[in-house]
Amino acid sequence: MRLIPSPRRVLATLALVAGTALLVSGCASPQSGAGASTPQAGGTITFAVDVDPVGHLDVHSSQLDINAILQRPVFDSLVSQNADGSIVPWLAKSWSISADGLSYTFDLRTDVKFTDGAPFNAAAVKANFEHIVAPDTQSAQASSMLGGDFYAGTTVVDDHTVRVDFTQPFAPFLHNAAAVQLGFYSPLVLAASADKLKAGGPGISVGTGPFILSSYTPGSELVYTKNPDYNWAPDGAAHQGAAIIDTLDVKILPESAVRTGALTSGQVDIIGDTSPASLAQLGAGYTIISTQSPGVPYSLFLNVKRPVFANLGERLALAEGFDLDAAVKGVFQGRYQRAWSILSPGTPNSYDASLEGSRPFNSGDARALLDAQGWTGRDSEGYRTKDGKRLSARWISYTPVAEDNASLAALIQDGMKKIGFEVKHDVLEPGAYLDAYLAGDYDLTDWGYLSADADILRSHLGTKGFQNASHVSDATVDANLAAAVATTDPAKRAELYRALQQYNADAIATLPLYVPEYSLAAGPGIGGVTVDINGWPQFSAAYTSR
Amino acid sequence: MAARLAARLGGMLVVVWGAATLAFLVLRLVPGDPVDIMLGVEGQASPEAKDAIRADLGLDRPAFEQYLGYLGRVLRGDLGRSYQLRLPVTEVIGQQLAATLELVAASVLFTLVLVAIGAVVFGGRRSRPVVGALELIAISSPPFWIGLVLLAVFGFGLNLFPVAGADGVTAVVLPAATIALPVAGLLGQVLAAGMADARAQPFALTALARGVSAERLVLRHTLRHAALPAVTLTGYIVGSLLGGAVIVESVFGRPGIGRVTLAAITHRDLPVVMGVIILTSVVFVIVNLAVDISYRLIDPRLALSAEAIRGVR
Repeated sequence: MRLIPSPRRVLATLALVAGTALLVSGCASPQSGAGASTPQAGGTITFAVDVDPVGHLDVHSSQLDINAILQRPVFDSLVSQNADGSIVPWLAKSWSISADGLSYTFDLRTDVKFTDGAPFNAAAVKANFEHIVAPDTQSAQASSMLGGDFYAGTTVVDDHTVRVDFTQPFAPFLHNAAAVQLGFYSPLVLAASADKLKAGGPGISVGTGPFILSSYTPGSELVYTKNPDYNWAPDGAAHQGAAIIDTLDVKILPESAVRTGALTSGQVDIIGDTSPASLAQLGAGYTIISTQSPGVPYSLFLNVKRPVFANLGERLALAEGFDLDAAVKGVFQGRYQRAWSILSPGTPNSYDASLEGSRPFNSGDARALLDAQGWTGRDSEGYRTKDGKRLSARWISYTPVAEDNASLAALIQDGMKKIGFEVKHDVLEPGAYLDAYLAGDYDLTDWGYLSADADILRSHLGTKGFQNASHVSDATVDANLAAAVATTDPAKRAELYRALQQYNADAIATLPLYVPEYSLAAGPGIGGVTVDINGWPQFSAAYTSR
Repeated sequence: MAARLAARLGGMLVVVWGAATLAFLVLRLVPGDPVDIMLGVEGQASPEAKDAIRADLGLDRPAFEQYLGYLGRVLRGDLGRSYQLRLPVTEVIGQQLAATLELVAASVLFTLVLVAIGAVVFGGRRSRPVVGALELIAISSPPFWIGLVLLAVFGFGLNLFPVAGADGVTAVVLPAATIALPVAGLLGQVLAAGMADARAQPFALTALARGVSAERLVLRHTLRHAALPAVTLTGYIVGSLLGGAVIVESVFGRPGIGRVTLAAITHRDLPVVMGVIILTSVVFVIVNLAVDISYRLIDPRLALSAEAIRGVR
């Protein structure tokens, strides 16, 4: 799940002017009081987000975070993951894992129905998992969450018992089974309209969830109505039974300033993907829920196959050469935490807090490291040279780059320039980016990757990992990754992931920059919105007293 | 007459064909493999799987063969299927066309009303320079900013209009006004300058000497003289609004062809881009025809001179 930056086609000056305009309007529309907090049934909640997953609505093949957010009301999973990472029963009442770790047997609820009337049973689970691995589905994310090459098959044991088998132990499976990517379509839809799932819409995006997608206008709006029969919320969920509101109305408002204005004027109830700058504009009376995204924090990936970062000296110089603390603090107005590990603090049962503060800003040391690597010459622009060649790294980014990330990049370039290290930032449109990325024609690239299981490191640090942008190839790392994916003992896994985080902190294959957060802001009179481990909203218990 | 019509239609077809061909060529020259982009950085498809997708989309065949196949299908009315959305291109465009046409129609209406007020009513008055200055401000303001200001005042502040969406007449008011303001500013300037020129002509003095009222002079004479360049500009603007309203669409969260086009270009969704280009060129050709016809209605001398030229030949 790429953390899609919200598109900003705006010059900074324009945003400033727009912000002023919104402040003026804010004065014209007072929204008073903290709002009554008595839940009352019925009504509509309007939720504004920045983008819709047009053409990528199939939960089994889409890799967009926004699709996972917008499909969760419609699709349920076998199990549910609490915000603390623990796993509780959902559509499966209970489960057992075979002693060899190869088989997961789920005992399914018997009272669950899809909203088109089809029963939820073992055959439905099998049909969905087969759809995920079918070549026509072209699934990358969901199929790897289902074990990828380790997935052996799904067997209907009886009507409400299903067994999932793997060719080797696959520890992340339970965490993954809680995600919407492994959610369940009605078997009727899979049989009749599998080719329309990507386009999605009413009658196509049909699950067992608390809401029914009742209308979809691409680029503009999704309307959900409550599923009155819903009676199978996750075990221990605060709200059981059908949703409290009748309608959930999702509006697509690409511009951040427009979302904030719509919230403060009362035209929408909740806004998502809210930047620190917009949060700062909201006064009292708004409920803000911010959650640190689990997985790989927003990071720079250092391509160790390229000459400039082939040696540890230059990589260390990058890690120590600029004041990351001050940069993160400045850009995100003190709201986001600077990252120290290749895993975010919110990643269940894995984060190594001992790395915090382990490599502070030290430009003197960085300079000495570069001197030691032979970068002792200086060219006319003040950059270091060796044998007449400038010390320079090419950083490629995927457009659009979020405004905050662009500011951070500028601060990094500036800081590195002070120690004579040129960082060229090329923001490329998708076609050009992929050409450069796939050819390995870059020294640095950047992203953050959300995942509720530390197994995400396998694709980022493993020799064969498909997101190994650093081109790391280390036998010990590979062995630790393989051991971690194969053991279901939490203590053992945590130990292995600590070793992997330590490896990265020493080798600087990846330079973690900051821990992104998913932020929601709700207006007065809105209550009951809960979030999952990713910080994404759940609307079953939401109510409006407007 | 029939021969002229046939020649005209033939010319129109050539323009559409030319646009489609040029687009086809350009889209193959820009870097980026459609299949790689479709799968993204996170895509972990094997080279075999990628080849299968490529074959499925017909991208493995020689470019010239793809081109001929494409033209053949277009002639049969088949614009192909979107790579990204897996829907027929006609459906992808059709879903968004109503919202776009609504926006274009409302924008043109607003523009005409604003121009009528700015250039015709205020034309020649002492207050015209003030209107002219307002027009210049409208022209030089970025549409993005105009949209946000209108939203802040009329949407968020006064709560007169919905912020987003395309339901109902009220939803189109602010987006259409955002487009109309700078366009009306430009047209108003062109029209006012033309009318001032016309008023300085001897025929205007003659008409006034004949006892023609100031209003009648404007409506019957000077407006007509000034209208030709304004009509040409209007035609151009209508054509470009079809795919070019992307900023307004995204500020107001409106569906529309503009955002579909932007997404299709970034994702190398070639069939959709080609479909939009063909649609746009057809609209341009039709608008151009309408502009030409209106020339003759506005200025009968054009028809006369055409006859005269044919007479000489």
